[in-house]
Amino acid sequence: MISCTEFIPAYSAYFSFLDQLAGKKAVVTFWEYLSDNYLDNLRDLATQKGLRGCYEYWSLALNEEAATFVMTLDEENGFFEIDMQACPSKGRLLELTQMEPYPDYCEHCDVLYRRVLEPLGFTYDIDLSRTDKAQCTITVRKNPENK
Amino acid sequence: MGVLRMERRAEDNVYLHKDFHKALNQALIYLEKNFGEQAVRDYLRTFARDFYSPLRLAIQEQGLDPLQKHFESIYAIEGGDVLIEPSDDGQQLDIKVRRCPALAHIQASGDVVSPLFHLTHEVVNEAICDGTPYQARLIDYDASTGACIQRFERRDQR
Repeated sequence: MISCTEFIPAYSAYFSFLDQLAGKKAVVTFWEYLSDNYLDNLRDLATQKGLRGCYEYWSLALNEEAATFVMTLDEENGFFEIDMQACPSKGRLLELTQMEPYPDYCEHCDVLYRRVLEPLGFTYDIDLSRTDKAQCTITVRKNPENK
Repeated sequence: MGVLRMERRAEDNVYLHKDFHKALNQALIYLEKNFGEQAVRDYLRTFARDFYSPLRLAIQEQGLDPLQKHFESIYAIEGGDVLIEPSDDGQQLDIKVRRCPALAHIQASGDVVSPLFHLTHEVVNEAICDGTPYQARLIDYDASTGACIQRFERRDQR
């Protein structure tokens, strides 16, 4: 059995395998498939509760993943942010010596969540400029016309 | 309507996100659907050969003890109904799974389980044994519960 604690290296290796098999486009197509088939809980929470649903979704996920983060929800100003200070996934990949992480690994967080949230009327941004330190910032804003 | 703020450090929590089993299951389904069963086998073998290379090396040097510790460690974290049985002479190790924790989590969510999910035992275990004096066999796999025996034994034993 591949333990869920070993999933991240398996996930990264999957991206590398797909890329070698059929190119980067195939990796992105898989991310889109995964967004459609794996993130129903985020989709449901965000649909029902808006930004508070995002807060609830990531409250569970980031605690289970033992991340170091600061998460902020400001419903009055239509703003939700995750300041990821130590991403457990990227952090694990950076520590591995026996395998090379997929170079575009962190891009999956852009494709997967954007694809769920933007059709629901949110603006989704992710700053991937510090992923070499296992850090990033995700910002979700409620579009003014959806207030 | 106030501002909610949550601040956590890694050491505040135990690393256990079981939904990753669902993601792996979806990855297997996608790969089989688009590239066929052989691609699933090739992917799992490639991953396992790389990721478990320190374990493979330890088995080469120390026999089945490191493998037993590996399984004790992951099933202690994951739970499930599992019996880990080394033989008296140390040349065989049986992992007797009566209820697979990964499969149980996927099924509890209502997701369809990949018909190739058993390869996460079969192919991965074979890859872990590559280049060692041991071989892996998957015996009596029950796709409805994940019940199975994962047997590791000396290559000249069969």
